[in-house]
Amino acid sequence: MKTFCIIPAYNEEKNISQVIAKVKPLVDEIVIVDDGSIDKTYELAKSAGITILHHIINRGQGAALATGNQYALANGAGIIIHFDADGQFLAEEIKDVIAPLRSGQADIVFGSRFLGKKSNMPRFKKYVIIPLAHLANRIIIGKTLTDPQSGFRALTRTGAKKIKIEQDGMAHNSEIIFQAFNNKLRITEVPITVIYHNFGQRLGGGLKIIKDLILARLIN
Amino acid sequence: MLQQVLALIIIAFFLARLFWQKQKKQINANEFIFWLIFWLLAAAAIITLKWIDKIVDKLGFSGSGIDILLYVAIIILFYLIFRLRLRLVKIEKDITKIVRSIAIKK
Repeated sequence: MKTFCIIPAYNEEKNISQVIAKVKPLVDEIVIVDDGSIDKTYELAKSAGITILHHIINRGQGAALATGNQYALANGAGIIIHFDADGQFLAEEIKDVIAPLRSGQADIVFGSRFLGKKSNMPRFKKYVIIPLAHLANRIIIGKTLTDPQSGFRALTRTGAKKIKIEQDGMAHNSEIIFQAFNNKLRITEVPITVIYHNFGQRLGGGLKIIKDLILARLIN
Repeated sequence: MLQQVLALIIIAFFLARLFWQKQKKQINANEFIFWLIFWLLAAAAIITLKWIDKIVDKLGFSGSGIDILLYVAIIILFYLIFRLRLRLVKIEKDITKIVRSIAIKK
């Protein structure tokens, strides 16, 4: 089974080379989706001699992941991994995340920051934003996992074909959980570590996610 | 009475603009018909304002006809904004599709 690692990157010149170097030996193909970066992300990724898909304008992380998925499926991916370009996930945990897929126990695996492994999560995030995200997931999409907004996940080919990421922005995290349940995929959660270099999604970003999810429910 | 005449003059101005835009082919047929009906209805409402006052009164509203027209106008505005938002979402999705296809073809 060919493993593809999709890494959406938007202005990540500081971390991209390091992330590529760490992930490259662990997967069959690494695909950077440069989401219209205005820094040197594209040049740096290109010099690493890997597959790079270039969004000519910024369309959001969800859109970049969907581009990566489409490319990976067209190029014979057996397993697709979604990874972040900012260096907050550990490359060595990729094998743990894809293990349930390799053994055929799951169609989709979500990395969870709340299953025992230690993360240096900022308090405000842990006690305010994350509980709010759980609540939003429950109310708007009706489902939630131990980690409501996990960006580290892996899918089998069958799983990836059934998940259609329509949310261009950050609401894709909830959207993928929703579609995984809706398509009755076999879901597993695996503990992961997250190293916070920066705060990540703030309250304002969280509210935008909620708005996007509600709008999507109204339209679809 | 003077107010009604003023309102009708303003509507006549917008109608004239509408026909002018149509002649210059700046708007399509659907859009033209929508605004034509919109302004004609507005003119009709102003001409029959006394009559609307009576209907509104019979329906049990405390305000006068012009108040009710204002409420209706705001409801219509909200509806139009909602439609505009839906259109924007669709355009955003289309842009993403184009950007994606360019990214994958390269």
